Amino acid sequence: MATTDHKQRRPYLQVFAALTVLTAIEVGVAALAIDKTVQIVVLLALAAAKATLVALFFMHLRYDHHILAIIGGFPLLLVVIMIVILMADRVSSGQ
Amino acid sequence: MDSETATISADGHGGHPAPTSFWRKYIFSVDHKVIGIQFLFTSLFFALIGGALAMLIRTQLAWPFREVPGFFPTSGGVMLPEAYIAMVTMHGTIMIFFVIIPILSGAFGNFLIPLMIGARDMAFPRLNMYSYWIMVPAFLVMLAAFFVEGGTAAAGWTSYPPLSALADMVPGSGMGQTLWIVSLLLVGTSSLMGAINYITTIVLMRAKGLTTFRLPLTIWALFITAILVLLATPVLTSALILLLLDRGMGTHFFLPDGGGNPILWQHLFWFYSHPAVYIMILPAMGITSDVISTFARKPLFGYRPMVYSIMAIAGLGFIVWGHHMFVSGMSPVLGVTFMTSTMMIALPSAIKTFNWLGTLWGGNIHFTSAMLNAIAFVAMFIIGGLTGVFAAATPVDIFIHDTHWIVGHIHYVLFGGSLFGVFAGLYYWFPKMFGRMMDERLGKIHFALTFITFNLVFFPMFILGASGMPRRLADPYQYEFLAPLQGLNQFMTYSAFVLFLSQLILIGNFAWSLFRGRQAAANPWQANTLEWATTSPPPHDNFETIPVVYRGAYEYASPLIAEDYLPQHRWLDGATPTTVPQPAGD
Amino acid sequence: MSGTMSVGAVREHPLPEGTEQPFPGLSTEKFAVWLFLASEVMFFAGLIVAYLTIRYSSPSWPVVSEVLNVPLVAANTFILIVSSVTMVLAFDRAERGEAQFRYFLLATAVLGTIFVTIQAVEWAELMGEGIHISTNLFGATFYTLTGFHGAHVSGGVIWVLIVTIKAFRGRYAKNPLGVELVGLYWHFVDVVWIILFTILYLI
Repeated sequence: MATTDHKQRRPYLQVFAALTVLTAIEVGVAALAIDKTVQIVVLLALAAAKATLVALFFMHLRYDHHILAIIGGFPLLLVVIMIVILMADRVSSGQ
Repeated sequence: MDSETATISADGHGGHPAPTSFWRKYIFSVDHKVIGIQFLFTSLFFALIGGALAMLIRTQLAWPFREVPGFFPTSGGVMLPEAYIAMVTMHGTIMIFFVIIPILSGAFGNFLIPLMIGARDMAFPRLNMYSYWIMVPAFLVMLAAFFVEGGTAAAGWTSYPPLSALADMVPGSGMGQTLWIVSLLLVGTSSLMGAINYITTIVLMRAKGLTTFRLPLTIWALFITAILVLLATPVLTSALILLLLDRGMGTHFFLPDGGGNPILWQHLFWFYSHPAVYIMILPAMGITSDVISTFARKPLFGYRPMVYSIMAIAGLGFIVWGHHMFVSGMSPVLGVTFMTSTMMIALPSAIKTFNWLGTLWGGNIHFTSAMLNAIAFVAMFIIGGLTGVFAAATPVDIFIHDTHWIVGHIHYVLFGGSLFGVFAGLYYWFPKMFGRMMDERLGKIHFALTFITFNLVFFPMFILGASGMPRRLADPYQYEFLAPLQGLNQFMTYSAFVLFLSQLILIGNFAWSLFRGRQAAANPWQANTLEWATTSPPPHDNFETIPVVYRGAYEYASPLIAEDYLPQHRWLDGATPTTVPQPAGD
Repeated sequence: MSGTMSVGAVREHPLPEGTEQPFPGLSTEKFAVWLFLASEVMFFAGLIVAYLTIRYSSPSWPVVSEVLNVPLVAANTFILIVSSVTMVLAFDRAERGEAQFRYFLLATAVLGTIFVTIQAVEWAELMGEGIHISTNLFGATFYTLTGFHGAHVSGGVIWVLIVTIKAFRGRYAKNPLGVELVGLYWHFVDVVWIILFTILYLI
């Protein structure tokens, strides 16, 4: 259970600041009247950035053995496959 | 740390004090061996129910709407179409969720994993107990459906909406369908608990020296299967919940008249159910590998390719689900991607098949009951697999989808494959589980009758399917072009009756041997894996001393010693057992 | 062929008993919680995929910024993020043996409760405007996704409270594993919300 450098101060408050700022940016971007596709891509990127910060720092993936990141990350690959296939089917089968 | 989670005792291998009361020893046990046997007994019970349902299905297909003595009182003993589809629904549901999955993962998984890896119990024995006991409400709920108004669910085990989403379609669409959904949610919870336990145990609680590539294939298969369970089951859970919402909360996820889409159900359902078929075959493949190697007295041919093939089958298994949906209006381009990925699974499957044959080739073969069933697994799996290749080809599947071709394919892989694998495992590990030997002669008679009648029942289904006979149809012969097939169906039905009765030989052998079988030695088959390094049955905490492992699981006919088997944990003076474990991450 | 293997034969070897340690220092409990989280990812994936395909093949969909109370929920999102911070600080302090970790745990539970409460207020607002789960596909997907997330938060609050009570009884003084475990779950629930907030309220 002991992590390698648990005596070192971790950047939790900096991550908190980043999350707050990113959230504010997200809300701002959502309110802009810009091209829909660009907006979606930017918003998803911002969300992904926030999620990654929480996973790496709060959930300690940055400091723990990488097997845990594999366990948490592999399902994401499956999720991407699911989304791509289902969306492709909806779009291409005309339903 | 909580004592409940302090399963890692002083020697690091898990373990907990032996229970004393009857309830703690046999009913609410946290001992993986007891839990495994609990799963075994309930699965065998449900196998009888599922088999009885199959007999009813066969009766209908032989003599449609003829009176069946003792059944269907409300319709004068006649099985009406709505009853027929209820029969096929419950047969499939019970066999998949209450027989094959629990017996392979629940019974063999639980019993064998700690023993084969040299641990005293699972990582989380209490979670293990809960995983069995949550099956009990699942059983009761599923069985209750037989007695509620309208009877059981009748939308097929695949439960496609709109039929399954509306409460007033067929008699079973009401309470019966709801109970079906609830039961499966409970089964899924049990499966997830088990998967978490198995993966943790296999990764973190192996005995010293038991590096990843020294694990027996039974463990590899159960491990990869558990990963499939972990990642696929929750998607079924989400689909079942959406279906419940459509049924009870007025939503229209799957209902077109509210803007929903039934195909969404199919995607979510098959995203789970395709990996589910690998959940049902991989453990049987692992068992077959171990049984064949043991009774050919030869190392398993191509151990590493066997391991990588299991991984490939499982990995590919996540991206083929659309092959169950070729007729759903899917774009041909998407169909091609699914066809391609599906065809690719034939490759690792073929590698495994050739490696089983390679293991047998030149071996000193002992035709025990276990071995006969394992060899039959290989042969029947070939047929089942090849008929699957036909279905994988989208243009062919357009014709054979939802015909008896598919029913034949399913049963060759699930009965010819998984169930023969289960039989092999039963004959092989019964001595370890119960400390007694089963009767070999009865085992061989059971095998012969089962093997012959199984093929007589299911092989003709490919003929029926190619001739266009649809599945789930209560009276196929109403169509003139199918009427000539009734004779063949009757032959299949007679064979099915004999097949069902033949299982009584296994049950009789099993029951008799429990009490009167010859006492079993620790290692009656002279096998190499760690479960044979302890008594039959093992003591409460599995091993007097936890073994240390020096080699892989398949050192049969080793030139280093006179005996034709060299157990994993046996120390050899002067030989070169690689006592230095390979680096972590191997 | 020689006879049966004597069961006690392994005693004579010189190596100590032990287990293979593929990941030194990693507890079975932490490993298992990550496996559980992987399964939860797949559960939410099913619901999210359903939402995305339904929305993007629907001929029309409400303009979410007009129907949903984005400012309120943005504030609620911030509250959940703060609760993640208090949770990670709780674990950090517990690891250092500082007793104040118990108050960070308590703060997490309180913030989680506030989150669910504000969600309930939002739901009440929407239902007051006539949008129920059965009204249309927007309602169906919205309430299902936020509902299951809210249920996970509620379960998390209960777990955090149990750990808090144990903490006040001196439980994690020597070994803060229990705090770490509930923290992993809590952060996961936060990550799910980060995704849901974006795809339900902003896009």
